[in-house]
Amino acid sequence: MQLSKTFYALAAVAALASPALAADNMQGITATTIKIGNLGPFSGDAAVFNPLNFGPEAYLRYINDKGGIHGRKFETVFADSACNEAKGIAAAKKLIYEDKVFMIMGNPCSGVAMAIKPMLEQEGIPWMGPAANPKLTRPTSPAMFHTTYTGIESGEAMAGFALSNPAIKKIAIVEHSNDWAHGYCNPASDFIKKNGGEVLTRIAMERGSTDGTTQALQVKTLGAQAVLGCLYQPELIILLRDLQKFGVAATVVGALGADFDQTVQQVNSPAAVRDKFFQPYQFKAKIGTPALKEFEDMFVKYLKKDELPKAGPPTNFYYFGVPVGIVTVEGFRRAGPSPSREKWIAAIESIKDFDTGVLADTVTFSKDKHVGVSRMYAVGLDKDGKQTVYTAWGKPLPE
Amino acid sequence: MADAPKSAAPATKAPPAWRQRRYLFWLIPLLLLPLPFYLGQYKQYVVNLILVYVPVGVGFNIVVGNLGLLAFSNVAFFGIGAYTSGVLALKLGWPWWATILPAGLMGGLVGCIAGVPALRGVRLFYLAIMTLAFGELLRWVYIRWVPVTGGSFGMSVPKASINVFGWPLPTEGDKFYAFLFLAVLMVVLTDRLLRSRFGRAFMAIKGNEQAAAAMGIPTDRYILLAFAWGGFVVGVGGSMYAALVGHVTPIAFDLAELILEFAVVMVGGLGSLVGSVLGAAIITAAPEFFREWPGFQEMLFGVLIVLVILFLPRGVASLLARVHPIFIDRYYRD
Amino acid sequence: MLAVLPQLIVSGIATGMLYALIALSVTVGYRATTVVNFGHGDLVMAGAYATFVFVGSGLPFAPALILALASLFLFGVLTQRVFMQPIINGPHLSLAMMALAIGYAVRGGARLEWGSEVVILGRPYDQGAFMVGSVVLTMDDLVISGFVVALLLTLAIVFHITPIGRLIQAVFQSQRGAALVGLNVHAFHGMMWGAGAALGAAGGVLLGLLVPLSPDLGVYTLIRGFAAMTLGGFGSPFGAVVGGIVLGMMEKLLGFYVSTVFIDITAYLVTILVLLIRPSGLFGQRATVRI
Repeated sequence: MQLSKTFYALAAVAALASPALAADNMQGITATTIKIGNLGPFSGDAAVFNPLNFGPEAYLRYINDKGGIHGRKFETVFADSACNEAKGIAAAKKLIYEDKVFMIMGNPCSGVAMAIKPMLEQEGIPWMGPAANPKLTRPTSPAMFHTTYTGIESGEAMAGFALSNPAIKKIAIVEHSNDWAHGYCNPASDFIKKNGGEVLTRIAMERGSTDGTTQALQVKTLGAQAVLGCLYQPELIILLRDLQKFGVAATVVGALGADFDQTVQQVNSPAAVRDKFFQPYQFKAKIGTPALKEFEDMFVKYLKKDELPKAGPPTNFYYFGVPVGIVTVEGFRRAGPSPSREKWIAAIESIKDFDTGVLADTVTFSKDKHVGVSRMYAVGLDKDGKQTVYTAWGKPLPE
Repeated sequence: MADAPKSAAPATKAPPAWRQRRYLFWLIPLLLLPLPFYLGQYKQYVVNLILVYVPVGVGFNIVVGNLGLLAFSNVAFFGIGAYTSGVLALKLGWPWWATILPAGLMGGLVGCIAGVPALRGVRLFYLAIMTLAFGELLRWVYIRWVPVTGGSFGMSVPKASINVFGWPLPTEGDKFYAFLFLAVLMVVLTDRLLRSRFGRAFMAIKGNEQAAAAMGIPTDRYILLAFAWGGFVVGVGGSMYAALVGHVTPIAFDLAELILEFAVVMVGGLGSLVGSVLGAAIITAAPEFFREWPGFQEMLFGVLIVLVILFLPRGVASLLARVHPIFIDRYYRD
Repeated sequence: MLAVLPQLIVSGIATGMLYALIALSVTVGYRATTVVNFGHGDLVMAGAYATFVFVGSGLPFAPALILALASLFLFGVLTQRVFMQPIINGPHLSLAMMALAIGYAVRGGARLEWGSEVVILGRPYDQGAFMVGSVVLTMDDLVISGFVVALLLTLAIVFHITPIGRLIQAVFQSQRGAALVGLNVHAFHGMMWGAGAALGAAGGVLLGLLVPLSPDLGVYTLIRGFAAMTLGGFGSPFGAVVGGIVLGMMEKLLGFYVSTVFIDITAYLVTILVLLIRPSGLFGQRATVRI
């Protein structure tokens, strides 16, 4: 016992004295490169979310093209998590212990992010990603940051937008039975109850549903004035179509698991979406407008063909991913010419009112606030079918 | 290929030379012992994951291989084992080592339940579809029984609970020794079972169930036993999974997982204990080699299984059996 | 609450028709080869994507559909001849696993191409809706139901009036006997496996009218198809259709009057209950071992 204590003390002293620890803090950093791990679902049924990995990657390539940060260029190592915990841990361990990356970026899958969290904390590896589970950064974990909206911000934005219409009080929730959907709709439900609304019911609609009759008729029978749909795109489309089919006039607010433009286009019925379907909106302006043009150009220029959509312009998932890259790079810019993990973390925590150029809110971190953004807008089609960004019900964002 | 020793075996009274040398198998775990000194955290994790899939494959193979029943409920046993360990550790504060046996027992219990239709004469594809439904139903319970299972978010197994008699297992290397012990124990016990009269009864039932019954073998009892023991072994694997991954969620026990576990048995070798171990190693490690081409993983995986079934119908284990008769499984016949 | 009952039943029938078609397509392959195609869901998906590709190449919908069905028919014949036939006398597990693995590879291929986006097939007709009393009927409902009923009639004719029906029955009952009287059983197996694939593909296309395409499109539906087969009685085409329709209605009724959380497991509950209480289903033979 005594002996082992002495041994540990000696080992600790040795570790402090040796350059190994310093090197560890600068793992992934050489004189000319910074190695970043990009973890995401490149296979499996969540692969549809991998644009969230390519958005930040495009920004890193853009920065490299401009000469990098303090003379260093970013080098990305991709790793497939398949959105499966066992595989995700293997992927993260490979990034950390074999590829020796500085940090992990990307990682849209909450389950994998939660599973690797203990390891990240043990090794002090920085993490910045779009995974929506608020538990990743609340309570604050020393090296983990959300520069995108978690389920709490998005869920409250969904509920908040619905309630900003004074005529809406009775709300029904339709959701998948998975962690992603509950991550949005649990906070949304709490928000409604706290702010004078009424949650009539929480209805399940599972992945792979081919029909939303039951759900639509329940919404209709209960007389809901609004529906919050924590659904992925295919099921959201089915719900919108079937609500329309049964003449349900309720406002529908979707979650961020669907692409707004594609959803509207694929519902293929103006009456089902005009002045009726809304989504929380993460961006400062409409996609496709000049304010966000530089990002569209960036995606098209720096991403390879198989990293972009088969047809059409980059979808909103690319834009939603890009702030992760922007804020990561800003951390390195502020960390100075000889970055270390401590310096990068301190640099991120020093960010105040930082405009990413794409998000609706400015980014502000502090020592005990690792979620950088909160304000969201809403997007929808107005009565004439024109896509509009709203700050609240009936209040379009000035263009 | 295995004809010669097969026909020779009943004739010789004294155990043949290869059988006496079976102790050589003990060399394998012994040779593995120093592994943590050579492997980094990542490779050690993959090895540990392989060890998790050893009992999973071994247990599955008893029912589908040795007994020849088309039961798709293996993921249910795996899941219940993981959840039992998770719930006991998180809600009741038990140390992990104490949850292993309950996890196995729960796996065995669920195995018995999954075996009930088989006792009622449900066979072939009916049994497959029914046991598939049973597994999915159980997954639905994980999602819905929120107070116990944590619902769709799942639960985190407390890190401090992962210890053996108070001895913590903080690194992958530490877990390796506990996992190696459990995996070897499951293999040895299953080997004993299969080489006893139980194994011979399984073989008789697989060959011709009615003839076996006519010979006075209580087939029902043996079928139930196979399901129970298979469930127990896989449940222990589930407990190891909970300790390794540290996070138990319903999504980990879905249909994709079922295909993975099938692949372990098929690629390794139906009805072969050696095969289950090999299959676990190949199927778990393969994705790590495919890492460079993530999008191709699923396709390559499918093609691999197709090729194995076509050209190695008795799995990779049959290749070894050709090398040396020691690898021939004596308790399985086509 | 009761006011919506007619609507639930009608919508249930419409959804059930889709399950019926999937069940029917599995049944065709099963009747011919006595093997259940566990990878069938991926052929359903492949049919939808094949049509999507042909439509995308500029063809009108109908020729695209025919080409897609023909491709899937060929694919079915080929996979049966090349992959299933060589192991047809092997363990059942190998057969099940082979079908699963082929499907898994097909799904992987689809994921490689379309995994990171959601695409839609688009209807070749107007998405109209009609009121019949208090019940809403959509064009989709009519097209799907019409297609399945027409198909069932065709199959009934083929099975009961033409010699093919007797052929199927002969092979189903005794492959060796059928071979003895001069039937080319292998070629027959291939053709029927292909026919099942083409029918499944048709199911995929109808599914694609309703929902956006994804590589996992067929997986969810296949389970419903199996439940419908079990309920109707394994191997009975008529049973498959009735089973599908009943399952569709049960999902709606259970979902509306009890809880929507049951919609997802209706198929599982039905499967388990039927096999425990009445293993032969509504119209099938006894679900026991062939020895």
